[in-house]
Amino acid sequence: MMHTNPDSLNLARRQFLMNSSCSVAGYALAAMMEKEGLLASESSLTNPLAPRDAHFPGTAKNCIFIFLAGGPSQIDLYDSKPKLQELNGQPLPKELTEKVRFAFINKETATLSGSVRKFTKHGECGTEFSDVLPNIASCADDIALIRSMYTEQFNHHPAQLMLNTGVGRFGRPSVGSWLTYGLGSQSNNLPGYVVLTAGRGASGGASLWSSGSLPSTYAGVLFRNKGEPVLNLNNPPGISADIQKSGLDAIKKLNSAQLGLTGDDEIASRIASYELAFRMQSSAPELIDLSSETKETQDAYGIDRKGEAKNGGRGGGSDTEAAFSRNCLLARRLVERGVRFINLYHASWDHHSGLDAGITRNAGIVDQPVAALLKDLKQRGLLDSTLVVMAGEFGRTPLGENRTGSKAVTGRDHHPGAFSLWMAGGGVKGGQVIGKTSELGWSVEEDPVHINDFHATLLHLFGLNHLKLAQNFGGLDIRLTNVGGKIVEKLIV
Amino acid sequence: MNCRVFCLTGWLITILNLITLQPSFVFAKDAVAETAKIDFLKQIKPLFQAKCHSCHGRETQEGGFRLDLKSRALEGGDSGRAISPGISHKSELYHRIAGTGDGDQMPPEGEGTPLSTDELALVKRWIDEGAQWPEAANLKDQLPGSDHWAFQAVKSVPLPQVQQSAWVKNGIDAFILQKLEQEKVSPSAEADRSTLIRRVYLDLTGLPPSVAEWERWSSDTSPGWYEKLVDHLLASPHYGERWGRHWMDLARYADSDGFEKDSKRPHAWRWRTWVINALNADLPFDQFSIEQLAGDLLPKPATSQLVATGFHRNTLINREGGTDPEEDRVKRTVDRTNTLGSVWLGLTVECAQCHTHKYDPLTQREYYRLYAFFNSMTEPDIGAPLPEEQAAFEKADQIYQKEHAPLVKAIQDYEQQQLTQSLSAWEKQNTNHNPVWTILKPESVHAKQNSTLKILPDRSVLAAGDNPGRAEIYTLTFKTNLKNINGIRLEALPDSSLPKNGPGRSPAGDFELTMLSLKAAPLQTPDSATDIPLENAQASFEMAGFKVDRVINNSPHSGWSIGPQQGKKQIATFETKAPFGDEKGTLITVTLQQSTTRTLYHNLGRFRLSLTTASKPLSLTGMTDLIVDTLNTPADQRTTGQQQELLEYFRTLDPQLNKLKATELAHKKDKPRNPAETTKAQVVNHLKIPRKTHLMVRGDFLNPADEVQPDTPAILPALESSNPNRLELARWLFNPKNPLTARVTVNRIWSRYFGRGIVFTINDFGTQGEPPSHPELLDWLATQFRENNWSLKQLHKLIVMSATYRQSSNSRPELTKRDPYNTWLSHQNRQRVEAEIVRDQALAVSGLIKHKIGGRSVNPPQPEGIASLGYANSVKWPTSQGDDRYRRGLYTFFQRTVPYPMLMTFDSPDSNLSCTRREQSNTPLQALTILNDPAFFECSQALGRRIVEETQQKESSLDSRVRHAFQLCLSRQPSSDEIDIIKQLYQDQIQLLKSDQGAVSQLTNAQKRPAGSTPQEVAAWIIIGRVLMNLDEFVTRG
Repeated sequence: MMHTNPDSLNLARRQFLMNSSCSVAGYALAAMMEKEGLLASESSLTNPLAPRDAHFPGTAKNCIFIFLAGGPSQIDLYDSKPKLQELNGQPLPKELTEKVRFAFINKETATLSGSVRKFTKHGECGTEFSDVLPNIASCADDIALIRSMYTEQFNHHPAQLMLNTGVGRFGRPSVGSWLTYGLGSQSNNLPGYVVLTAGRGASGGASLWSSGSLPSTYAGVLFRNKGEPVLNLNNPPGISADIQKSGLDAIKKLNSAQLGLTGDDEIASRIASYELAFRMQSSAPELIDLSSETKETQDAYGIDRKGEAKNGGRGGGSDTEAAFSRNCLLARRLVERGVRFINLYHASWDHHSGLDAGITRNAGIVDQPVAALLKDLKQRGLLDSTLVVMAGEFGRTPLGENRTGSKAVTGRDHHPGAFSLWMAGGGVKGGQVIGKTSELGWSVEEDPVHINDFHATLLHLFGLNHLKLAQNFGGLDIRLTNVGGKIVEKLIV
Repeated sequence: MNCRVFCLTGWLITILNLITLQPSFVFAKDAVAETAKIDFLKQIKPLFQAKCHSCHGRETQEGGFRLDLKSRALEGGDSGRAISPGISHKSELYHRIAGTGDGDQMPPEGEGTPLSTDELALVKRWIDEGAQWPEAANLKDQLPGSDHWAFQAVKSVPLPQVQQSAWVKNGIDAFILQKLEQEKVSPSAEADRSTLIRRVYLDLTGLPPSVAEWERWSSDTSPGWYEKLVDHLLASPHYGERWGRHWMDLARYADSDGFEKDSKRPHAWRWRTWVINALNADLPFDQFSIEQLAGDLLPKPATSQLVATGFHRNTLINREGGTDPEEDRVKRTVDRTNTLGSVWLGLTVECAQCHTHKYDPLTQREYYRLYAFFNSMTEPDIGAPLPEEQAAFEKADQIYQKEHAPLVKAIQDYEQQQLTQSLSAWEKQNTNHNPVWTILKPESVHAKQNSTLKILPDRSVLAAGDNPGRAEIYTLTFKTNLKNINGIRLEALPDSSLPKNGPGRSPAGDFELTMLSLKAAPLQTPDSATDIPLENAQASFEMAGFKVDRVINNSPHSGWSIGPQQGKKQIATFETKAPFGDEKGTLITVTLQQSTTRTLYHNLGRFRLSLTTASKPLSLTGMTDLIVDTLNTPADQRTTGQQQELLEYFRTLDPQLNKLKATELAHKKDKPRNPAETTKAQVVNHLKIPRKTHLMVRGDFLNPADEVQPDTPAILPALESSNPNRLELARWLFNPKNPLTARVTVNRIWSRYFGRGIVFTINDFGTQGEPPSHPELLDWLATQFRENNWSLKQLHKLIVMSATYRQSSNSRPELTKRDPYNTWLSHQNRQRVEAEIVRDQALAVSGLIKHKIGGRSVNPPQPEGIASLGYANSVKWPTSQGDDRYRRGLYTFFQRTVPYPMLMTFDSPDSNLSCTRREQSNTPLQALTILNDPAFFECSQALGRRIVEETQQKESSLDSRVRHAFQLCLSRQPSSDEIDIIKQLYQDQIQLLKSDQGAVSQLTNAQKRPAGSTPQEVAAWIIIGRVLMNLDEFVTRG
């Protein structure tokens, strides 16, 4: 049973209060750190995001997590299925669909739908990629492609929560929250967990970067594409830098006086958060100012690209190409500045119809800048310590979608049973393919990787034991890997 | 731990079916094998004891299976039955011990040795013989029980003796002091008066005291000043807002559905208003709870009691295209079950959704028994006008009716006294008559089902006999000599033989006509019929959603109805696309098809068909050939029917009557709108025949196992009801024997005042939760709560009147090692106020706040680009205008997928699950919000101006301004150091602004400057106001 243990009296009260006075999470964190021997350095007394040691030395230090919302079609991107092409237009054997639920497909009349994409081998490893990802394919030797992912959720929002928080329900911390909770962040003038979006909103909205049951300190901070980079970053009109400075000085003096009077260390924490806010005010604009990047770099990422939204409008307006490119470049700059976790979102890849045009457009949006990012990180020696992930919430069916009311079959339905994602850098063994799907791409045949397994491996790369990184919440130990999680050994160098 | 013990697969359902056939089979077997029967007590029980009980006994029940109690053994585990009496090969128990099934063999490796062949044979025979288990075998075993403190009855506790009795203000203090004295610690002194005033204002109303209020309470010298203040605040309508918001956390209130589509819930606010009003009226907590949990089951529930059930409607709903509605309904039901657990029972019952609770005595089966209470809800929206809206409507309606009645009477008088005379006069003047409509006389009538169709003298057709339990198709034939036929008319006619006088045969007298098809053939070649296409349908009345054009849209499933305008004649006309009619006469076949989709058959009762050759567009009314006949008949020879029909026709013509009718109709436009049509509430209702509930294997709704009946967990006092339903469940919570409800509730309320509960784990009173720091105090409070008729206001008063509550919140450095979490309450705890209160305070001190208690949610300004983060730009944020920009935070529209950013930055719950405690984080984004969020800066601007304005009359010395600013923002006098800091800040700003006219005008932007002030000084005070609102003290309750 969990008593307030008198033996833990040396656990400074301010340790406990550093997140949240008298909160379960604060207690849990302090208790966890004590248990793990992770008692933080002095600075964490007032900064919950101060860097902390991992459970064991990890290979990754930062993570760029690219989330393609909507369910990208693995069959048209990563997992070539000649047999599917061969059987194009034929019904699927009944035993395969009998127990499967679909969002929109009518089982009785659905037929197999081959991909029009050309697949070729790339790099020394010879991993196959589709022709819409030529640039990413050129990084094949750094990429570990998992073709045997599976999930339990087949609707967008629950599945997106599953991939981002490990559980298909609301209320759990996201991957980035867990990482910053476990490790803090090396940046002392930017948030530890930054979110950048492009295209249409994802089904999950802001719930995908929520800190769930952890304090909001660990929630993703959205950097915006329009206006100020962080909400409320800029001073109001009329508040000059000098006025701001003198105001903050007065706030600090008055807060310090209260601290002396009440002895409440939470005030020290508030003083520190005002100082971080002030530092963010100067460092965030510097961060987003891309003019210091060479023309060559800017062009490699394609930050001035113009999009064509006419075909594949699902991928966003015509400014999406440039926005996503900028986000990729910003991600590198954030890594350079020590930010622990960067989430890049792009929506939507939900190609129930118009798949060929849609995926061409979308792949065009992400291919060049993501490849540029991988190469840039590598060239700067950052790739070894930066894990890059590109994933969607589930895959798409080998069956064409014959939704009631649609005229022709031009897309695919949701497919949670077998899909692909890839990881690169951060200690991941590149140039390999993990897992295999059946010849029609219907199910996983070799090395199945559940989302909890993927998360367990991700944490492992950061030196975190997924079973130990837990929060006691309402009598339950909450983990990113929920009640599962098996490390995918093949991924690790 | 292996929690997959006895996880059976789908074939269990088959077994279930077999079991119902069991008894006769067992008897037969018994009769034959009487002599060789296995003795359970001697042969089986010892075996179970040795091999099974360590994991499936009283202490632990792996997989929810218990083999030491007959009832539990026979009902099975988490995945269904384990023993099928009489059929060992269909008993999972046997397969498990024999190692012949899919599941792991029992006992598992390392837990014991497998059963020997002889032992297996024994168990097999025992099962095959009917698994006889004498009741006597149970006597020595205990029913499920627990020594855990929270499951024991609430004790009646005497107040402890303490030494410093002078400190004790009420019972609470005796318990707190007892502990402190044991530890040889003295309590802290009472907080200074200013701190205490602000503390109790914030805790009870969520608003700071105004300067006038602060002055009043600061200078009140009467000994009872504090109690007066407490009573004053408890009577404030803001109390309901403050504590309503706490309740909204528990109820996971939001204004949208959640998930991808995240549709708005325009009626959600109505429940919130109910909560605020109920709390302000101090509705006792038992009533408050019962009405929300089961108001629909109360005898003749009042509207407000139905509105209360909106509590259940706050769950998420997933309307994504591919969602299985049943799966989502199950999820909502699960959420409701879990919410009951966390709010009233303080138990994490959700663990048992998939498997028997690992720590607490709750089996998965018991979970679904609890779930069964919530499994038969429906989710309607009802008209629920606010009492004031209803009163206003009734008043206005009374005035209206008074004005309207004479207009109706004038029509009646005219019809009775003058209509016949007018008709005679008209007849004399008009002698030439041409019919517009020719009424068809059926040659043949036929009904597909068993209706009997009768042709009446007025050529109408009346359906008689029982209304068939099927949709009717009537087929009628007619002959006509008309040519150039432009349209057909259907008159649906009332008749006293029909329900509610018809014209339809549904119990309400309605019908739904889904198709009217017209065929024509020359009389000479009657077999050569062709379809006559119809268009431009019109009707005298259409029920919403049942428009008349659906009659000719070629769908037999959708049709025209006339509710609520039954009981009178209704007319529909249809134009022919091209004129028809043979030179030598036409044979017409009309088919009338009625709806097949309505459960109560909506067949037509009485109707009549006519044709016209008049030009388009068609008129609904008009002279008929029958009326021409009537007019050609001398008045004294006309039948009553003829006379009536003539009068009816004449009514459409008589100018005097039409004028009277027009006046009446015009006045009708002033009829006050019934607020029930606009103010609605989301409520729940119950199915008349409850849904069956099944245990769901591993929580999977596609994998149901045994049926279970609603019941409460065995560890708690029995429900004792012959009709276990939601209402009984709600009442059971308040059974004096229930050990949890009162404790859980007082503990949660306590935690709002001290930052932590007496039981630290507010939502977990189970064995994994923390034990109470002051168990006797908890029971004493629970008893007080119950004995005070569950009055929440009295409970609040008890707590805030205590010396414990009133202590200073300054830390006690000498105790940080011995009592790091201040469990002993040697002092109060400072607490950051909740997100909404941060907003409310800024609005209050700046004077911008607009108060209106309850009502619809509002959309105060939020930064651009927030709403667009929602799914595919579907979320809209229509920024409120006027007063609604400045309402308290609890009224801010809560869009689940993209909530109001300021609220989330300050740890508002995401409202997806019941939230019993909020985080109190401290982040740079919070600093940026109060510093720079335009809504807060607007408050700074108003505050700066207010400080200057309100000190203009007094001697406007800098000192007095600083004092006023502190009183406004922090409800206290500044120290001399603080005055110096602010004065210095002021001088610095004046210097900075002197050379920056641009900044001055931006800061004072669009503000009316107080008379006699300079723009610089207002600007400087805006900056100072911004500083004060950013102090830790501003967002902290001291």
